[in-house]
This record gives sequence, structure tokens and C-alpha cells, in this order.
Amino acid sequence: MKYQLQLVFKSQKFVTGFVIFAAVFLLILFYPLLVTKNPLEMTGGLFYKPGTYVSVTDAVDTQSYKINKDVVTGKLTKSVTAEEQQLMRDWLLNYCPEVKPEEVSDAKKAYDIIELWLQYYDKTVEMEGATKAVKNQYVRLYDKVENILESEGYIVSRKNAETGEMEEVAAIETKEFVNVKDIPNRVTFPLGTDNFGRDVLTELVAATRTSLKIGLLAGTVATAIGLTLGLLAGYVGGMIDNVITFITNMFTVIPSFIILILIASGLGQAGRGAMLVAVVIGFTSWPWTCRSVRAQTISLRNRDHVNLSKLSGHSLPRIVLTDILPYVASYVVMAYILQIASGILSEAQLSMIGLGPSTNKVATLGLMMNWAMQFQAPLSGAWWAFIPVVLSIAMISFSLNLMNTGLDQVFNPQLRE
Amino acid sequence: MKGYLKYFSNKTAWYLLTLVVAVILNFLLPRLTPGNPVATIASKAVAGMTDANAIQKVYEDYTRMFGLDKSMPEQFLLYISNLFKGDLGVSFSYFPREVSDLIGSAIGWTVALQLPAILVGWFLGNLLGAVAAYIKGPVDKVVFPVFLFISNVPAFGMAIIILFVFGIYLKWFPSSGGYGFDLIPALNMKFILSVIRHYQMPFWSIVLTTIGGQAIGMRSMSIYELNADYVKYSRFLGIKDKVIVKYVFRNAMLPQITGLVLSLGTMVGGALVAEMIFSYPGLGTRILNAVTGQDFPVISGCTLIITVGVLLANLILEILYGLIDPRIKTAQQE
Amino acid sequence: MGKIMLEVNNLKTKYVTRFNESVYAVDNVSLRLEEGESMGIAGESGCGKSTLALSLMGYYFAPLHHIEGSIIVEGKDITKMTPDQVRKTVLGTEISYIPQAAMNALNPTQKIIRFIENVIHAHDPGMPKNRIYEMARDRFEVLNLPEEVLEKYPVELSGGMKQRTVIAISTILSPKVLIADEPSSALDVSSQKMVIKMMRELMKNGFIKSMIFITHELPLLYNVTDDIMVMYAGQIVEKGTAKEMVFDPLHPYSKGLMGSIIVPEAGTRDAKLTAIPGTPPNLKNPPAGCRFAQRCKYAHAACKVQSIEEVRLKDGRMYRCILDQNELKEGKK
Repeated sequence: MKYQLQLVFKSQKFVTGFVIFAAVFLLILFYPLLVTKNPLEMTGGLFYKPGTYVSVTDAVDTQSYKINKDVVTGKLTKSVTAEEQQLMRDWLLNYCPEVKPEEVSDAKKAYDIIELWLQYYDKTVEMEGATKAVKNQYVRLYDKVENILESEGYIVSRKNAETGEMEEVAAIETKEFVNVKDIPNRVTFPLGTDNFGRDVLTELVAATRTSLKIGLLAGTVATAIGLTLGLLAGYVGGMIDNVITFITNMFTVIPSFIILILIASGLGQAGRGAMLVAVVIGFTSWPWTCRSVRAQTISLRNRDHVNLSKLSGHSLPRIVLTDILPYVASYVVMAYILQIASGILSEAQLSMIGLGPSTNKVATLGLMMNWAMQFQAPLSGAWWAFIPVVLSIAMISFSLNLMNTGLDQVFNPQLRE
Repeated sequence: MKGYLKYFSNKTAWYLLTLVVAVILNFLLPRLTPGNPVATIASKAVAGMTDANAIQKVYEDYTRMFGLDKSMPEQFLLYISNLFKGDLGVSFSYFPREVSDLIGSAIGWTVALQLPAILVGWFLGNLLGAVAAYIKGPVDKVVFPVFLFISNVPAFGMAIIILFVFGIYLKWFPSSGGYGFDLIPALNMKFILSVIRHYQMPFWSIVLTTIGGQAIGMRSMSIYELNADYVKYSRFLGIKDKVIVKYVFRNAMLPQITGLVLSLGTMVGGALVAEMIFSYPGLGTRILNAVTGQDFPVISGCTLIITVGVLLANLILEILYGLIDPRIKTAQQE
Repeated sequence: MGKIMLEVNNLKTKYVTRFNESVYAVDNVSLRLEEGESMGIAGESGCGKSTLALSLMGYYFAPLHHIEGSIIVEGKDITKMTPDQVRKTVLGTEISYIPQAAMNALNPTQKIIRFIENVIHAHDPGMPKNRIYEMARDRFEVLNLPEEVLEKYPVELSGGMKQRTVIAISTILSPKVLIADEPSSALDVSSQKMVIKMMRELMKNGFIKSMIFITHELPLLYNVTDDIMVMYAGQIVEKGTAKEMVFDPLHPYSKGLMGSIIVPEAGTRDAKLTAIPGTPPNLKNPPAGCRFAQRCKYAHAACKVQSIEEVRLKDGRMYRCILDQNELKEGKK
């Protein structure tokens, strides 16, 4: 046993998988200790970008410093859109003979093209063939840019409660900065927020935890059923074997996803707790384990030590438990690992079509995907709401599969290269 | 020839029996789960309706379809006889459209998407697995782990990433539907082009998910075959490696057909969810809408049709396998 | 003295394991095979016989590597040729091979005739298929194999039939040298007999000019081959005629090996059956001196340090031991 463990840990694949899995496991174990907030608490708004957010009023109230930095460039670049820059390019190329085309194409950065355009643009230039709307567009653009350039800063005012008049509270100059550390109210969303304004990272950790639990439970149920039926079919043989094999083959070709849909839709929205869904998944995925255990058991059935046990008059459960089970144990462990991975995947798929766990007390990886899709996260460009979830599922499944392959190479010498 | 006939008739009989079991499950499972959804859903289905005639019609259809006043066995007989008439009931959400009509308009899209995608993915995956096993070196060291990872990205995950990158970020392809929303299905150039453009992302996302898993299986099969005695013997008789690789590819690929039979159900399940992501007008999207609208007759009809499709595909695959692999023929003659 | 078919000088090859360790499985082997001669190579399993068989083909691919030494066929050193040249001009036509396990030697999903076509086209791409069929049919007829076999898949043949088919395919291009690696060890006695008979017929009909027969079953060699070489830990430890080797072995290892078998000849009834104690050395780090020293009951202290050279006797006999001929003979009791 010790020797086998050593062998297992010599397998590069197993170790890689194990390390990834352990990292995920430690993360879901320790993260809730560090971040104690409720993962389903709604702190932000719909699909906030990942980043740190500071309170705007705090920023006004915090002591400011003048820093000698060219603020205008950053502001211009940010407020003149790509389409507007294209408009500028078109104008320079079509209506401004003084500027060579190379100059326009050389001006790659937003600021360069704005500067070039400001230098040559003239409202009075006759734009041949251009409609009035287009001409007006340019005038508006010029005013907008001028405005940004000339803005001296902002005045903060407050409505006087008695008179209803605006009173100046503070003036903010263009080059004024505040130290981020001085702002008392800050929120960081490392992975942004989801459609309900929840912190995606905290939610993801909690979801991974629930999904792993679902995977473990589904895997356990499937392995227990598959192992029992497999041992029974393989060892007892005869009629029992025929019946079990027949059922197993049948459930391998009938898509388990379909059976899941039927049961889950039958259970109804209210009836589907996370753990019940896990058990149902377990009940639909045992055939794989059963097949492999049966095949292994058959090859063991007529070994000498089993025959010896039979001759000694040992009972069937005893022979199965002491003479067969230890030899199929490695295959059972491998199948169990795969069952965990497929359990997590099944939950996710089921949740995607809205048949997943219905409770709104916990998040699962599948539910997160479902929410992201329902609220059109891809269309909003909110990649942070679904890509980390997909990667988490893939990572867990990848690590489990690597462990399985590593074990397979150790216990199945034929596969060694 | 006798061997083949025996093999085919055995397989066909087995699949027919499996089909019967699948139909029974399709009938029983939703009815046995607690809280009898049929009753609750029927009342929900009419909740939003204002047309008194429509409500009346739904209840009539519903009673006729499920025979609520009858016992289970009688209900089952009714269910079967309706099945034989091709009557799967009436949709709740799209009242008064027939379920068979709804499924009929979706099934073509699903078959046209999934069949080629799974086959192409299966073939490319096998090719890649064989190359990885044979060349070892860079292909095996770099490309293979990448595909190992990709194979672990769930089908819907692959779909959503492809949708986001190529549909929304790069805007190369339209991001939803089976054809432009402003077009009416017709056999003209514009419509066909639109269909082809809408086809790309769902197709490739299914292909990519399929490739990974197949490549892994094929690689270990090929490694096993490459170490087989006949490879060494053929080499020592001076046969070119190119020819030997063909032997290995063929021999490793044959068991992969059985592998496809075993995993087709899982693949189709994943591909259905991929369809939903792209709002492809196939069965996947139908199921999603039916679940959202609690349209029970449509769910039940879709699951039945998908099961029949998967079983039929598997039967064809097994018969093909029997024709291609001489080992089957010999096994049957013994 | 017949024409020399195969001459091997100081051949050294190695295996590279997946942990990148080298196993020197064939070390300094020289041999010479004349027209009409059949030579047996004997030894325990793991002594390097099968590796020698593969090394003699001159066609090396991982994990087997050529280190040094020459293999001369028709006056040309094939170890100097490119692998593709060897494949095209040597394999099958000059030197051919019968593998140890004929059970799995044939591609299971290919009809026998298709495989024969592949073999012939590898050397003569232009030969039309009907000519190949005629050729195969004629050869099968001479070798008493039914013609229907050609149109069958390997799974449809019995074990003995499969082995004979493999032999027929290996020799279809009438090679000068046939290397048979335990062609009969997996078969039952009557099939074994047929295989041996077939090998003799091949020789008699001139379908092969010479043969190297590798086996761990010595009695078989005594019946089949003219000469016997005994191999131990990658080296040839003794060579002589079949009769000499069986009744008068010199090398302590040969004695042990011959002592562990029963030869159906007069006098053997009285001889005791003995086994050689111990196991062969690990060839990743072969011992410095005599490789057999650790298991040898005549071993001196010098045996373990001093490198042992081949001793060639006048009649073509050879052995590799520190002791001289007479000392060895006295040791024999």
C-alpha cells in the first residue's frame, strides 16, 4: 500500500492534478475565513467591471493635493471615442490638403490624432459633398474637445435645505488628486460583480464549494450503486449478471442527461434542493462504474486465492469484501474521481437549462452560469461573470482527470509509454 | 453472411427493447416524482390565459392527453396509442401549436448541427490522438496537454467562450439564432449564406469539445497498438512506416467507434446546451424555453425524440462497426 | 565450404529504457553463417537472444540502438546503410524474420493476401496484384498451406495455422538468411513438429539459404540445427556443432544449460538433471570480469576482475572462459 502510494506520487500527471486540486481545495477552505461576508450579499450593481471602487463623495471630502501631471491627455483619450477619432481622420484626409496622408496614418495614438485635427480644423472650410448633418457633427465634436481642454475644474455645490439655493461647497481643480488610502469607503471586486451586484470572486468560491459537495455526493451515490451492482454481477454471474448487464448497457445508451431532465422537471422548482439534485445525478451516472467493476471482478473470479476462499467455505459477502474488493479498489478510486468530475459537470448542465438546484441560499457553478446567461452577460461584455466560472469547472475537472490518468498509468502497466 | 445477419438482428432487437424501456421511463419518471407536476403545471399553464375558449381547450387537451381520471396502466395505454398517432400533445406556451409540430420545426436544425459536428470532432480528435501517439515529440508535448485541458472545458463553457470572443468581441459571426432575424426561410442565396454564417460558432464549439476527449482515447489506443507485435513484424518485413501507421490508425479507430456509441448520449447532452447558448433554433433551445415556460408536454416530447435519435444513431454505428471490423464477424460465427 | 551468407563482426547494441538508462543487451557478438547452414542460439530468457535476433536485422529503431560492429550481407555492411535502404533492399529479401509470438504478429483487421501485397510492394512497388496472388498461392501450395488462407483474416486461423502462415509470409521473397525467434515455443507439440518440418522444407526447396534458430528449448536445436551458440548476458559464451554442444559442452554455463535438459539419447537416463543457481546480471551495469562468474562453481578470484577473451579452437569451436580446454574438461564429471 505504502509502495503503491509512492508510485502514485511519482507519476507526474497525478502530482500535477493533485496540486491543482489541492490549491482549489485550500482556496475554498481558507478564503471564507479571510473574507467573511455573505457570498450572496448584493454589494454592487449590474455587472461592475473588476477593480477597486471608491466613494465619490468621500473623494470630494478628502484632502486633495496638486500634482503636476498632464491630466488633459488622459481625459481626452478617454472621452473621444474610436468613432470620433475616425471622423477626425476622415476630415484630415478628405478636406485638408495641407496634411499628408502619411502624417495621418503615423498618428497612431488617440492624443496624436486629436492634436493634429485641432491644429488644422476650421469651421469655415468648405466641405464639398458633405451633408449639413455631417458638417454639424464636426462642429459639435470641435466644441466637445474644446470643452475638455478648457475645463478649469468643477464646483461642488449643495442645495440649501431652507432656501433651496445652490451653495458652493468646494472647488475641484483639474490637477487635484486625492490619495486612495485616505478615502474611507472603498470596495474591491477582483472579479467584478454579477447581475445581482454580488462580488463574483466571493460568490465563485462559495459556488465551487457547493459544486464540489454536489460532485462528491453524486460521485458517492454513483460509486456505491455501481460498485454493488458490479461486484454482484461480476462475482455471482449467471442470471443476475445477465440482468444487471442488460440494465447497465441500457442506461449507457439512453442519455443520462435526458433522464436528469425528466426527473428534475418532475420534481418542480420548489422540490430541487442542491443535495437532492446531487443524489439524482448519482442515480443516473452509475453505469460506468458498474461496467468497469464488473469486468475487473470477472477477471478476479477464478483466481487461486478466491477459489481457496470458496473451498474454505467463506460466505459470499466475506469473499467479496476480503478477496475481491481490495483488488478492484484502485479501479473504484479511479472511477470515483471521474464520477466527481462528471457530477459537477452534470449539475452545471442541468442548471444551464434552469433545472438545477432552485434554492437561492446557495450558489453553484451551474447557477452562476445560468444567471450570467439569463442576464445576457456576454452581450454586456461582462466576461468576468462567466469566464472565471467556466475556468473553475475546467480546472477542477482537469485536475481530477489528470489524477485519474496518473493512477491509470500506475495500475495499468500497459499504458506506460 | 449468416454471422452478419445474426449480429444485426441481435443488435436491432436489443435496441428496440431499450427503446421500449426509454418510452416507459419517459412516461413514468415525471409522474412518479412527488408533487405530480402534470397537474400543477396544467393549472399554471392556463394561469396567464384570458381567452376562455383557450383555457377550456387546454384543459380538454390535457385531460385527453393524460387521462387524469384514469388509472396508471390506462394512462400508459393512452400515451402509447397517442404516440403511435404521432400525437405528443399541445404546447402550453405556444398554444394551440402541437408539440409534434414544434419539435418537427426544431429537429432538422439539431440534426444538421450535431451530426456533422460530432462526426468531424470525432475524426479530427482521432487524427490528433494518432499523430500525438506516433510522433511523440512536439505535438505530444505541447498540443496534447492543451487538448487535455480543452476536453475538460464543458460544452456550454466552450460555447460561451466562443460566443464571447468571436461573436461579441471580434464580431466575426452573428451571435444568436440560426439565420438573420430579418429573413424568412427560403431557398435563396441570402438566406443560405446567413444560415452558413450562423452555423459556424455552434458547429466549431461542438467540434472543439468533441476533439479533446476523442484525442485522449485515441492516443492511448494508438500507443497500445503501436506496441503490438504486428507493428514490429511488419517493420521487419520492410513495410514502410506510412503503411504501418495506416494499420495502427485503422485498428485503434475501430474501438473508438464503440467508444462513440458509449459516449454519444453525453455528447448530445452537451451539444444541446451549446445550442441554447447560441439560441440556435434546435431542440436545445426548445427545451430551454419549455423549461422556462414550464411547458411540460414540450419537455416530455423533446426528451423522447432525443432518446430515439441517440438510440437510432447508436444502432447505425454498431451495424457499421460490424461491417467494418472482421473480428465481429468471427465472434458471431463461433 | 559454402558461400558466406551472413557475417557479423563485434556487434554491439543497446536498449534505452524510458528512464534513459542503457541496457547493453548484445555485446561483441561475431558470427558467420554459410549457405545451407542452420545455426541455433540458446540461452535462458533474458540473456539477449531476442535482442540479438532484432539486432541482426540491421534495422534499428527506438528503443534499440546500434553502437558498433558490422553486419555483412552480399559483401555490403548493412549497418552503414540508411534505414530506408535497409528496409528496401535487405529486410525480407536478404534477411527475414519470424517473430516470437505469431499469435499477434498479423494485423487483425487485414486479410492475409492484403498483407502479402503490402510486403511485396514494399520491395517491388510495381508488381501487379494478380501476380502477387499467383506467387503466394504457389508458395502456399508447396508449403502445404490451403489457398483459402489467403482470403481470410488472422482471427479466423488457428494458432498453428497462423504460425505457418507467418513463416510462409516471412519467406515469400526467398531471403538468404532467416532469423526465427522461438517460432514454436507457444505451440502444442504437434504444431511444433509441423513448424520444424516446414523450416526443413524451406531449406530443402531453397526458399531460404541459411537460418538462425533461436530458442530456449535445446532438444529442438539438437534436431534442427547444425551448430549451436550459447548466449549469456549479451555475449556468446560458447559455439560448436550441435552434437559437441549437447554431449560435450565446455563452458560452465553451457554445462549448466545442457544439464537442465533431457536429450532423448542413450546414456541420458543416468545423467542428473540440474539447474543453474542464481540469476543473470543486470545489463545496465554489466560486471567487469566474466559475466557468469557469480554463478560459476569453478570461478577464480581473477574471473571477477579480468576481462575474458574468446578462445578459438582449431575445429571452429569457440568458448569464452579463463580456463583452458583441458581444465574445463576435467571439471566435467
